[in-house]
Amino acid sequence: MPTVAAGLFDDYDPETFFDEVFSGPGEVREHYTGLLDRLRRFSAEDLARRERRRDAAFRSQGITFTVYEEDEGIERTFPMDLLPRVITAAEWEVIESGLVQRVTALNRFLDDLYVGERAAVHDGVIPWWLVTSSDGFSREAFGIPVPLGARCLVAGIDLVRDAEGRFCVLEDNLRSPSGISYVVENRVAMTRLLPNVFTDAPVRPVDHYGRSLLGALSRVAPPAAGDTPTVVVLTPGVFNSAYFEHVFLAAHMGVELVEGRDLVVDDHVLYMRTTRGLKRVDVVYRRIDDSFLDPVTFRPDSTLGVPGLMAAARSGNVTICNAVGNGVADDKAVYAYVPQMIEYYLGERPILPNVDTYLLWEPEQLEFVLANLDRLVIKPVAEAGGYGITIGPKATEAELEACRADILADPRNWIAQEVVSLSRHPTLIDDHLEGRHIDLRPFVLTSDTVEVIPGGLTRVAMRKGSLVVNSSQGGGSKDTWVLAARPTGEAEGDTDAAAATPLLEVTGDVEVTS
Amino acid sequence: MRLDIRYRSSFTYDGLVRESQNELRACPCTDEFQQLISYRVTTSPTAKVVSSTDYWGTRVDAFGTRAPHSSLEVLAEATVDTRDRPLPMGMSRPELLVEPAFVDRHAEYLERTPHADWGPEIVRLAAEQTAAAGGDVVGWVLALHRLVGATLRYERGVTSVGVPVDEVLAHGHGVCQDFAHLAVALCRSRGVPARYVSGYLFTRDETTLPPADAAEDPDDAVRVQTHAWFEAAIPGHGWFALDPTNQTAVGQRHVKIGHGRDYADVQPLRGVFSGGAGASVTPDVEIRRLPVVETAAVPPPGRLLLEQDRRDQQRQQQQQ
Amino acid sequence: MLARDAENLFWMGRYLERAEDTARLLDVTYHGLLEATVAEERTAWRGVLHAVGLDEAAREARTPITAAAVSAYLVDDRSNPGSILSAVEAARENARTVRESLSTEVWQSLNEFCLSLRSRNLRTDVEHQPHELYGFVRKQCQTVAGVATETLARDEGWRFLKLGWNLERAEWSSRLLRVRQQYLEASGFHEWVGTLRSASALEAYRRAHRTSMDPLDVVSFLLLSRTFPRSVFFAVRTAEDALRMLQGEDEPGVALRLAGRLRAELEFADIREIMDGDLEAELFRFESAIRGVSAAVGAQYFTSAHDFDLHTVQVFPGEGNR
Repeated sequence: MPTVAAGLFDDYDPETFFDEVFSGPGEVREHYTGLLDRLRRFSAEDLARRERRRDAAFRSQGITFTVYEEDEGIERTFPMDLLPRVITAAEWEVIESGLVQRVTALNRFLDDLYVGERAAVHDGVIPWWLVTSSDGFSREAFGIPVPLGARCLVAGIDLVRDAEGRFCVLEDNLRSPSGISYVVENRVAMTRLLPNVFTDAPVRPVDHYGRSLLGALSRVAPPAAGDTPTVVVLTPGVFNSAYFEHVFLAAHMGVELVEGRDLVVDDHVLYMRTTRGLKRVDVVYRRIDDSFLDPVTFRPDSTLGVPGLMAAARSGNVTICNAVGNGVADDKAVYAYVPQMIEYYLGERPILPNVDTYLLWEPEQLEFVLANLDRLVIKPVAEAGGYGITIGPKATEAELEACRADILADPRNWIAQEVVSLSRHPTLIDDHLEGRHIDLRPFVLTSDTVEVIPGGLTRVAMRKGSLVVNSSQGGGSKDTWVLAARPTGEAEGDTDAAAATPLLEVTGDVEVTS
Repeated sequence: MRLDIRYRSSFTYDGLVRESQNELRACPCTDEFQQLISYRVTTSPTAKVVSSTDYWGTRVDAFGTRAPHSSLEVLAEATVDTRDRPLPMGMSRPELLVEPAFVDRHAEYLERTPHADWGPEIVRLAAEQTAAAGGDVVGWVLALHRLVGATLRYERGVTSVGVPVDEVLAHGHGVCQDFAHLAVALCRSRGVPARYVSGYLFTRDETTLPPADAAEDPDDAVRVQTHAWFEAAIPGHGWFALDPTNQTAVGQRHVKIGHGRDYADVQPLRGVFSGGAGASVTPDVEIRRLPVVETAAVPPPGRLLLEQDRRDQQRQQQQQ
Repeated sequence: MLARDAENLFWMGRYLERAEDTARLLDVTYHGLLEATVAEERTAWRGVLHAVGLDEAAREARTPITAAAVSAYLVDDRSNPGSILSAVEAARENARTVRESLSTEVWQSLNEFCLSLRSRNLRTDVEHQPHELYGFVRKQCQTVAGVATETLARDEGWRFLKLGWNLERAEWSSRLLRVRQQYLEASGFHEWVGTLRSASALEAYRRAHRTSMDPLDVVSFLLLSRTFPRSVFFAVRTAEDALRMLQGEDEPGVALRLAGRLRAELEFADIREIMDGDLEAELFRFESAIRGVSAAVGAQYFTSAHDFDLHTVQVFPGEGNR
């Protein structure tokens, strides 16, 4: 058994949690040994200095998200911990096939609901009332087809590891999952800040995301668009907290980043306003919420959207991605039915399990949950970003009481889950390493095939003992390495491009100026 | 009764408008008791009209124009055959209202919605009325229907959509959609699924119906507005349509456009425009009675019906 | 390209030039007044406000006419959209909106400039090291310009950036002359040296005219020079070139026509004629012609992205005929 790297890891205590790096005190897991050997030569102080350099670099590059406090926008960088998270080829194979399976079933479900026979409802897989009572169910999307049935073209599935190290699905994000820009930027920063730790590590690249996304978006264009459809990224604007990511996506795809006021519908065809008049648009990768898309159909007060966009989509003249109404499938109560959906649509056993979930409109489950509130996690069904969650073991008596009242007022609006202890990973805190809880959000692209970007965003709960990893709740991130199987087989993307993009090869210490 | 309907909305803008996008829901639906014979939408200035069927089964005509204009007119012309809707026969026990399959199917017609929400006063009134009506859902619905008629006085221009039902109740007056929303809220508060219906009423005045058996109808051509009423789901029977404004069952003079949870789901016309400062919209409906043509039988419901409704019907037919 | 992106690039150029020229104007005014009387100082600072067209606004903001107050108003007052800080922040917002059409380097240099400007104590700097502060602003603006020149593709976006940049510059160069012109009589050797220095023109001028400080030569140089990039003529010609490239093979639009007309007038002007006439009125006329070009650019290329003022229409049942 390899021994712990000297210095840096001396005082590290994995405690009783599932630790990604250590299988026991001083016992390093096989796939981390190379990395730890290379990290051995750094002191915690070296790492901390490089981390400050990264922070300054991110700030000057404007890789930030905006937090609004008292009407004042504060630009924050999303902290990246310098110790990468490593996933083995074998682990990834399971995750990848599980994600492909899950997202395929979710797309089938959404298509069934909006343009199909609602077979899953009629066959009793999921109750109709649950569908219609979901905030994300969009009656306005009824009957709008999406080419290839790719309703969630981009999905972000949040995975956690339980006490036994098993990967489970914590939640699905099927509307506008964000974070991919950090996946790519984190990798860029890592290769600059710690180039030597990559040496001979066969890490699978992630920077082809823009090309993969553009490919997928182009394949769902209306047939009339021809071979090179015009794709745009639709942003709410510069004040949106994820604006950096919208810029990133447009830039990486080489397409226009538009706001609603740049677009116009004429005779049910979508155009953008250019310096040379109107130019037809075929595919909109939108990063604004359903209810703001089109003031004719949705909120009449929306100034972010495009009047007539829904009618244009209904006419088949433009494809909106992700499709309208996906929120019904990432409703946290509907989540509980995803394993059944997989069995129903695909006839397969789910590869990645759900976390045990209690549905509070069922009287026995409600009774159980109310009696055990202090050891469960309670979540609102329609929120994203970690808002509104009560973690029983950490809640005060008053918080539990408030939670109980909320549940009783509207049981459909809440679910309860067992606390998943979440695996931990050594993380640089000030001048030493401490274990912090992490999750993983891989990104899945669906068009004629389903592609999973290797790795994804590893989020870290930076507060000691915290289980909440969301960036809006003080979370950080890690570069996530998926090790390639040796010998290297087919890499992602088309084969010649994969050959042209070797696994990361970085030599020499590239300095990041700040 | 064969009716010829001309629905016209004229927009007059304060200034030149650069863009206008709209959705029209004015087409009579086809169901068991009514059949659409012909329908046509034209606009001036001319715009391409794209038609589709929405979630509720209502035909939607979307149209817009980017040619600068200072007025816009949309004209929908329909010919429709109507029949009387039979009243529910027999009893329907309230216990059936909580049967899980029934609740599951009608969940969206039981929820509170922005235009059909209810407070304690409505709960109290509904409970009082239904308790007096005994153990029959048909009786409940009729009692609530009568309660609306007894509580509200018809008065134009005193409310607009957006006034909560509770307030309408407190004020004691309103127009047809207030009557319909109040009826819907009362039903739902007692667990009776209810939906809002948008349509036309062939009568000179929205609040006075000529006698049903008037042989020589003096109103061969009338100018009216769109009308609203409600339908309640009776276990074992189906949807029971009542016009609370006129305190009558829905009959041949009622032409249904469509239904939804409340007004917002079947709004006759909604749209946006940019440029100019304001607009006035003049809606105008003209209904004419055509010579009666006897149709042998109403053909089976077409694809305008939702799958869910068809299943409802099958199930209900099996239960008969 | 997207009309809104073009507009943002145009304004990014304008704001950067505005920040730089404001710094130049403040620098030369401040240092020209070190030995002046209080009355002279007041007159000079009032002249500055007048030149930048902010005398009304400054009066409304109750800015006293002192070096410190006027400088502060023009440097870090966020309520003044023409202050250096406001202009740099506006340029950054413009850049942020079109980031996908800029190079990383341009965005980064502008972003760093803005962040470092924000982190400075501008009030203290205005008082204690004004020259360093104005030098810093000038240098940073030039850095962004240099990085842009080195890293941006010569496409449509570049032309809009350049167009904004040069229209703003042409207007400012004329203003600078106008400030000086008001005191033409009183202006001696040192004042003209100061004016040339503020336009970074001293060395270039000397190569052309040696040590002569004849007002006619100085005005001619700053107004009509064919070789000096900050002369009004040079900036107008550069703007015209950008418009010509944007126009392509099409019939000249209004913007190009106006720019071409103004350029020709400057190209073939007779400096003696101008000096014998009413110089201030003439400069004023040039400035309004430049603004005319700018407005025409807006109307020709950007208007479709404007005024998305939505109104909702709803028709309620049982209503109407009223």
